[in-house]
Amino acid sequence: MQAIILERALNFLLATHPIDIQPLEGKKVHFSLQDFPLEMNFICTNNRIFVTTDAAINTDVNITLQSSVFLALFQGEDLTELLRQDKIVIHGDVKTAQLLVDLLQQVNIDLEELLSKYTGDVVAHQVGKLAKKIKSSDNPIGSIKDGITNFLIAPSRH
Amino acid sequence: MMHKTTHFGFTDVATEDKQGMVRGVFDSVANKYDLMNDVLSFGAHRLWKHYTIATSNVKAGDKVLDIAGGTGDLARAFAMKVGDTGRVVLSDINAAMLSEGRKNLINKGVSGVDFVQLSGEQIPFANDTFDCVSIAFGLRNVTDKDQCIREMYRVLKPGGCLLILEFSKTDIALLEKFYHFYSFSVMPQLGKIIADDEASYQYLAESIRKHPDQETLKKMVLDAGFGLCEYHNLSGGIVALHKGIKT
Repeated sequence: MQAIILERALNFLLATHPIDIQPLEGKKVHFSLQDFPLEMNFICTNNRIFVTTDAAINTDVNITLQSSVFLALFQGEDLTELLRQDKIVIHGDVKTAQLLVDLLQQVNIDLEELLSKYTGDVVAHQVGKLAKKIKSSDNPIGSIKDGITNFLIAPSRH
Repeated sequence: MMHKTTHFGFTDVATEDKQGMVRGVFDSVANKYDLMNDVLSFGAHRLWKHYTIATSNVKAGDKVLDIAGGTGDLARAFAMKVGDTGRVVLSDINAAMLSEGRKNLINKGVSGVDFVQLSGEQIPFANDTFDCVSIAFGLRNVTDKDQCIREMYRVLKPGGCLLILEFSKTDIALLEKFYHFYSFSVMPQLGKIIADDEASYQYLAESIRKHPDQETLKKMVLDAGFGLCEYHNLSGGIVALHKGIKT
């Protein structure tokens, strides 16, 4: 269901904005999260994007990252900077990855909600908060530490 | 001389006879088809079709072919999505069903839909014509399912999307028991009471059991050439939506 929500959001964006996805035509990009059992393929073809969860397809590029980094990417975090900080691993065509990330960053979708289907609301909320903090912080490492501390403590408070 | 056989429900019949026998079933149920769908599925068929449309990725200007489109539920929804610049073809092998579909769409004020009587095994359109081809609750009635899937692949454009909505197999034991009882004991009786046709609904129950399960159908779609196929179980697997992409 989450893949469908994302697919619809992306294609709504394409239908309502003058975005050229021709450079992505025929490309398949695989995202996998290291900390949650979530894998997604983005298949760009026929001027639209299909989002699937089938792990068995051959892709042009594989992107592996933590869920918090996945959310941070959606919220505008710079891919090159994340690569430099070793927060993201890319196997394959980096240019294709960059093009897709540029597109994903334009999608207005509540990823916390999306992620919560896999992880439960509390975890997703904490991850979402952490991602926002990383993005707005001058000290991302410190933010991650704070976030992890909050995440570990917060559930026991309820 | 040996005749090739296929199944018609639980009965083995000569391959060349099946199409005519299926036609007989749908000639019989055409005028009560929508009512029976609502009654037998408790309205759930509307949700299954809604989900199919939602996952279709069809957009304005697209060309869509709906095979075995019957009374036109999907074609109507597709027509709204493709708009004035797109094209929807509602097709069915059965003239009575196609006639019901045409009547329904006219009554609902839907325009921009073409009606074509055709067999899914020999689709009379050029290669690479459609952005989306759908078949809802029709594939299990097709004699040569592999040929039908190959034809749907052929008429899809590269990047086009195939949607197969069909009864399938549930792996929930309790649901399976209830479903078995309902299919073979309740459905034919409802068919008798509402449509005065027990035999057609007995065939419906049997044909569901003979239809390939989710993984088998997925393999058939991939074998036909689709670069990708995944399926979504609906209502615990009673129905599955297979989505293939021609990459």
